[in-house]
Amino acid sequence: MASRLILSVLMAGVLALPGCARPAAAPTPAGAVQENPWGRNYFPNVVLQDQDGRELRFYDDVIAGKVVSINFVYTNCTDICPLDTAQLLRVQGILGDRVGRDVHMYSISLNPERDTPEQLRRFMRTYNVGPGWTFLTGNAEDVQLLQRRLGLRAVDENNLRQHDTSFIVGNEATGQWIKRSAFESPQLLADLLGRQLLNFSPDAAPGRQSYSAAGEVTDRSRGYYLYRTRCQSCHTYGEGDRLGPDLADITKSRPHAWLSRWIREPDRMLAEGDPTATALMARYRNLAMPNLGLRESEVQEVIDYLRRRDEEAAR
Amino acid sequence: MASANSLWAGFRAAIGGGFLVASALGSTAAAKTFDIPTGAPRSPLFGALPWTQPMLTFEEFGTQAVPTTSCATCAPLPPVRSCTSGPDGAALDTFLRQQLWPAPTVAANTTRRSYWHTSVGSCVRPLATSAIEGRPPGEWFSHQRWSEFRPAVYFQSAQAGARVNNGLRDGWQRHGYANGEFAPGGLYYAGGTTRGINVRFHPRFPVQQENSVWTFDGTMPPKLLMARVGEPILFRHFNALPISAAANNGFGAHTISTHEHNGHNPAESDGFTAAFFFPGQFYDYHWPMQLSGRDTINTSASDPRAGFPNGAGGVTRIRGDWRETMSTHWFHDHMLDFTAQNVYKGNAAMMNYYSAIDRGREGFQCNYTDAANANLCFPSGTSLDWGNRDYDVNLLIADKAWNTSGQLFFNIFNTDGFLGDQVLVNWTWRPYFNVRARRYRFRILNGAVSRYFQLAIVTAGGSRVPFHMVANDGNIMEHAVRFPNAESQSLPVQGIAERYDIVVDFSRYAPGTRLYLVNLLEHDDGRGPKASIPLADVMSGRYTGDPAVGRIMEFRVNVNTGVDRSMNPAAYEVGGRVMVPMPEVSEAEIAGARHRTFDFGRREGTDENPWTIRTDGGEAFNMDPHRVSAAPTTNRWEIWHLNSGDGWSHPVHIHFEEGRILSRSNLGAAQPVPSWEAGARKDVYRIGGGPDEGTDVTLLIRFREFLGTFMEHCHNTQHEDHAMLLRWDNRSPGQTVAIPTPIADWQGVYYEPSLDLPTAN
Repeated sequence: MASRLILSVLMAGVLALPGCARPAAAPTPAGAVQENPWGRNYFPNVVLQDQDGRELRFYDDVIAGKVVSINFVYTNCTDICPLDTAQLLRVQGILGDRVGRDVHMYSISLNPERDTPEQLRRFMRTYNVGPGWTFLTGNAEDVQLLQRRLGLRAVDENNLRQHDTSFIVGNEATGQWIKRSAFESPQLLADLLGRQLLNFSPDAAPGRQSYSAAGEVTDRSRGYYLYRTRCQSCHTYGEGDRLGPDLADITKSRPHAWLSRWIREPDRMLAEGDPTATALMARYRNLAMPNLGLRESEVQEVIDYLRRRDEEAAR
Repeated sequence: MASANSLWAGFRAAIGGGFLVASALGSTAAAKTFDIPTGAPRSPLFGALPWTQPMLTFEEFGTQAVPTTSCATCAPLPPVRSCTSGPDGAALDTFLRQQLWPAPTVAANTTRRSYWHTSVGSCVRPLATSAIEGRPPGEWFSHQRWSEFRPAVYFQSAQAGARVNNGLRDGWQRHGYANGEFAPGGLYYAGGTTRGINVRFHPRFPVQQENSVWTFDGTMPPKLLMARVGEPILFRHFNALPISAAANNGFGAHTISTHEHNGHNPAESDGFTAAFFFPGQFYDYHWPMQLSGRDTINTSASDPRAGFPNGAGGVTRIRGDWRETMSTHWFHDHMLDFTAQNVYKGNAAMMNYYSAIDRGREGFQCNYTDAANANLCFPSGTSLDWGNRDYDVNLLIADKAWNTSGQLFFNIFNTDGFLGDQVLVNWTWRPYFNVRARRYRFRILNGAVSRYFQLAIVTAGGSRVPFHMVANDGNIMEHAVRFPNAESQSLPVQGIAERYDIVVDFSRYAPGTRLYLVNLLEHDDGRGPKASIPLADVMSGRYTGDPAVGRIMEFRVNVNTGVDRSMNPAAYEVGGRVMVPMPEVSEAEIAGARHRTFDFGRREGTDENPWTIRTDGGEAFNMDPHRVSAAPTTNRWEIWHLNSGDGWSHPVHIHFEEGRILSRSNLGAAQPVPSWEAGARKDVYRIGGGPDEGTDVTLLIRFREFLGTFMEHCHNTQHEDHAMLLRWDNRSPGQTVAIPTPIADWQGVYYEPSLDLPTAN
């Protein structure tokens, strides 16, 4: 019974052994389990470099025996990747110190030539990425192979804007892998990583509380929805700065025309050298506000939502 | 070991490079890529030849009266054998033979602990609490209108790993192996038992291991529920799958949620994707079996066409609209993220509804002799008062693949869609099936993950065998449609989860004749079907592309010793008699309907972005069970526009009520609605612009009798899981509270707040 228990714990992925190959499995009950088809024979054991220049083998060191999230980024990406990274930061925040222990997060560079370990470190500092979330770079062909093996469409370095924005989450020990999207609620991703993929071994109750804390459910406006899904990754309302500034009173402190354009095309304003935009970027770790691809009407809805809150707060 | 290595080499090459599988296998064929099975080498056949084994026919669950006494001697669900395997098969049979116990309750039974709480404690984590029933607790998931529709009958089954059939259900077959073709000497007697049947697709193939295939009872044949319209049913579904999440031979989740597709069932029994339950628990599904419109139409229960056979030659009349009578359904898993894997792995059963109009008894008070008679007398048999299956045969068609060891294989990484290279009929590989030279009804279900079919029946020489389609998506149509016809030579394209009931007359063929069921529809990937292949090319062997195109089943015509008393479908074609007219709806009602638009596609329309559904032009979302995208008010007409724009095919399923197709269009250009859809109530609507479909569909629908949380999704279940699935709630007028979202756990189910989208309205 003892050996069976050890096996099951391993299978459930509760024990994660960073940097180590999986120990030899305990004897299998007769006829019950085949070899996991999504293991060593499936995933290439290519060598990658982390942000500190350490060499990690993809199968042995990165995924074996672990619950992982994997996405693909490049550090000079200006459209969707910042939102990806900001969303993942929130996932990391929800999981707290379990990241690096129960759950391992990886972002792999699609632009290895540019994204040296040093560049990755700079990027992580900009976003204030905490421990347990590793950035990786490597040979371009290897990275493309990894993308394909994880069920993503591979892109080459010349076409990076077309890259597949999915997250892959999985538990190598149980062979369960799921494709999810950067646009999902961070709470859902945290629950998937921190609970479901661990055979529901942690208690659901803490997750339940943080989800309810995540928000009002009475506001059905589109502006609120856009705020919740697009802005909240980097901003709070009245709870202090996150990656970007606290948005409380923003509709009072900025002229409407400026604010509207800033939300719609921050990249162009920065390129033009708009003084307010440039100052903001300097103040927030040189992290550029991303172009979220919002339509004019959507920008207006977000501003309307923020103005309502500002007016309520003033009452 | 060498063979295993070469398997993995080929496998990696196929997945890694999207190579020509044909060339990897050393074949010279194919100018085109056919990565089938998706990302894996071809399934080995172990020397088996086609048409060398009989087709398995469905085994009835068998319903029984709900017991009125308690059970002092009833034992609990037997224990697991280990963390990685479920209970012993014989012990499970003994358990399932017991009466229903403990008695069902209105709210979930959380007063008793999970049957396996101790094992879960040692295999996963110690449990402070747990519940015997996995249904979410309390008022929100209590059975609606329980006292009104108190179950009269029940059946129970356990989702379990593959094992040999011990004949558990032999005594529960309505035919009793003593009537008609099921009696000794009949075509389908088959020894009078299912004892000894293994989970194996052909006698030459290896037996499936316990965790390769998970079915109802863990056994073959596939299972059939025979139910009567108006007779409420309780299905106690036990989860007897392994406690370890790793014990799945490469795919499948051990948590499940069961959806009766497309029952008029209350939300708590609809298999909501987040209301899943765990190994060691049961879930009581309450299927009231009521006709839609029960609360507003035929409320005096006076219409003789609304009712069910009473077992003694009569009809018990019920309230509701007889034109909403349903016939051919199925039920299957709906687990969040794992529906494709679980259904593929065996979580699929069929369900026939018997009613005044579709009694499963031919020659008895037939509509064809007197238009005032309700019974349409489809081919079935005459021995029993209802539910004769002698000439009424369920066919579950699905493509599969298996590895070099012969064990079922699924590629979990390709979310464009998964295709198998071998088509199984009722889980048997290229079987033969003996038929009498008379009319038969076949209830054909596409039970695939991503594959569409287009079926034809042909002679050995390649001539088409004519037949009639009588029901679409399990609903009897206004008129029978003859095939071949001007619109279609073969049966129309059949998307995933669509059901087509057809009537074939084998009396045109001499005993000894062999006929074939052929699939003509080519896929080259799981995104959608590509083209219908000319029959002549398939029959001549000239066509060598998609390995699932070709003959999948053989019919062997035997002499008919009895008299065929079934209806002649030709008499029910347009211009002739009517089978089931469409429920009327006025122009004013259509004009006053609430419109909603659902766009199925990838965000921003590119392949690199995730699957989504966009509601009413809002944000494009994938699945979050908290999010309510639409909230219709009960009993009001709605018009739903289902659009696609990415060129991929999506068979869209809307739960709970049937709709009717108002129009079809392709890239903005109107298309005629084909005859087999014009007079049909549907629950799956094909869009995407592939063969036999336009890019967009507009349909009319309303939701009645039961409230709560339902779903709408793409039934290419790889798209659904990742994640073309949305939640809509049916609400009372003025209802402002969204039903909270269940969060399931080994220790019990919690609730979190739900979030209405602006489009919920």
